[in-house]
This record gives sequence, structure tokens and C-alpha cells, in this order.
Amino acid sequence: MERARILRFTCMTSVDADAELCRRAAEGDRQAMSALVAAFRGPLYRFARRLTRDDALAEDVLQETFLTALKKVGGWRGEGTCRGWLFSIARTQVLMAQRRRTGEPEGFEEVEPEAELPRLGLEAGWGAAMDPEALASRMEAQAQLEAALATLAPAEREVVALRDLEGLSGEDTAQALGLSLAAMKSRLHRARLALVAAVKRGGGHGG
Amino acid sequence: MAGNKQVGGLWCFDVLERLSDYVDGELAAAERAQVEAHLKGCDECTKFGGEFGAVVTRLRERLGARADVPADVAKRLDEALAKR
Repeated sequence: MERARILRFTCMTSVDADAELCRRAAEGDRQAMSALVAAFRGPLYRFARRLTRDDALAEDVLQETFLTALKKVGGWRGEGTCRGWLFSIARTQVLMAQRRRTGEPEGFEEVEPEAELPRLGLEAGWGAAMDPEALASRMEAQAQLEAALATLAPAEREVVALRDLEGLSGEDTAQALGLSLAAMKSRLHRARLALVAAVKRGGGHGG
Repeated sequence: MAGNKQVGGLWCFDVLERLSDYVDGELAAAERAQVEAHLKGCDECTKFGGEFGAVVTRLRERLGARADVPADVAKRLDEALAKR
């Protein structure tokens, strides 16, 4: 196999620049806080929309994330990265918003028992390759990929959203999810296998 | 999988386990070389690895848009932050 060429996405600022902005914001620099808002409102809003699939709820999450960040930034001591910290706040806000909406704990924290890797591989078509053109045709439209992504469990969708769609590093993704790097990688790999299976099925569960 | 065979010092299952790290470029050089040696001699893993990499790449290309928030959302965010 030719080594897959994966585009490396990054958030809108560099990790070092983020840390500097967070440090200055922690000291009360309002311009630095405004710059953080400008750099991260897009990524955080997209992340919240991806998890809630509700524009109004995502907007609430966005506002609450920055309001919380403003309250807490004074105590930020540079543990992890600034972007990992912001996404971890957003994730908590998503959970809280969903809890408020449904009145019940959202299942997102409760990760389903992990399926065995060989079974996930088989479901994704390991050993039963598709015609490459047929596979490409199932990924042509954005809507097809969206539909496949929507079939993932919430805990799988969030790790893919952070790592593959927002382009966070492995360490930042683990920080945002409150997981060890190894646990994040395991979840990401299983999520990607589930996504391959969904794409091959044609998006939906039964498809 | 049709058969879990050992090629290049790795079983097909070992390669399946390492595919994400492989496409993310996060394997150490020696381990990457082992995976590549396996792929060279295993048609099934080569095909599946190609599919896996293609889906991850396509996902990043198509859904990883860099758009900012809509203007009205940005405006209401600024208003909410100004009120605090």
C-alpha cells in the first residue's frame, strides 16, 4: 500500500501562539481573550454542532464555553495545551446542554464495551476488499460521509471530530476527552473502523 | 479476515491494530518498516489498508472545513461576552 497521504489540519493558530494567548488572557489581557475567541469560535462551534446536531444548542454551547473559559482562565497554569483545555470545556458544555435538553444523563460518557478488533475489522471488510471505484463512489458526496459519521456512537463521533475534522494532535484530543493517549488512540482506531464499515454499507446501519 | 497470516514478522491482526498509527505517521521507524514488509507480502492487508487510508483521507478533506461561525452567531457571542 502506498502510504496514505493524510492532510494535517491544524486549528487557526499554532500551539505556541495559543499558549501565549492563554497566558496573557490569564493575566487579564482582554485583547488576548478576544484573539482566542476569534481563533477558536469556528472550531468549537463546529465541534458542538457535530455532537449536538442542533444549531441552537451548539450556539449555547459556544457561548457557555467562552463564558466558562473567561471565568477559569485566570487559574490556567499551562497544563496540557490551551486548545485541549478549550475543547475539554466545550465537551463538558455539550454534555450539560444535552442533559438539560433531555433531563437525563447523556450516554456519551458511558462508553460501550469495546468490540474486539478482529470483529470490527471484519465488519469493515477486512479480507473482503471492495472495488476501489465502488468505494470512491460511496464517498463522493459530503452527505454520504455525514450519514456514515452519524451512525457512529457519540463517543466515537467526538474522537473523530476532534482528531480528524478539527485536526487536533493526539495529545490535545486525549486532553479534551480526559483520556490517556493510549486510550484515545484505541477509541479513535475503533471509531475509524466503524466508519469504514458504515461507508461500505452506504452510510446507514442497515444499508 | 480470510486468514491471519504471518508476513514480515507481523500477523495480519498486528497490522490491523496498527493501521491508525500507520496512516497518522505515528509508528516508530522499525515498526513502520515491519508493517510495510507485511503489506508487501499480504494482498489482503494491502487492499484493506488502502481502503482504510482512503476513508480517513476523504473524511478529512470533505468534512474538515475551516469555515468560521456564521456572522449572526459571532455577533451574539460577542454580545454575550460583553455582558459578563
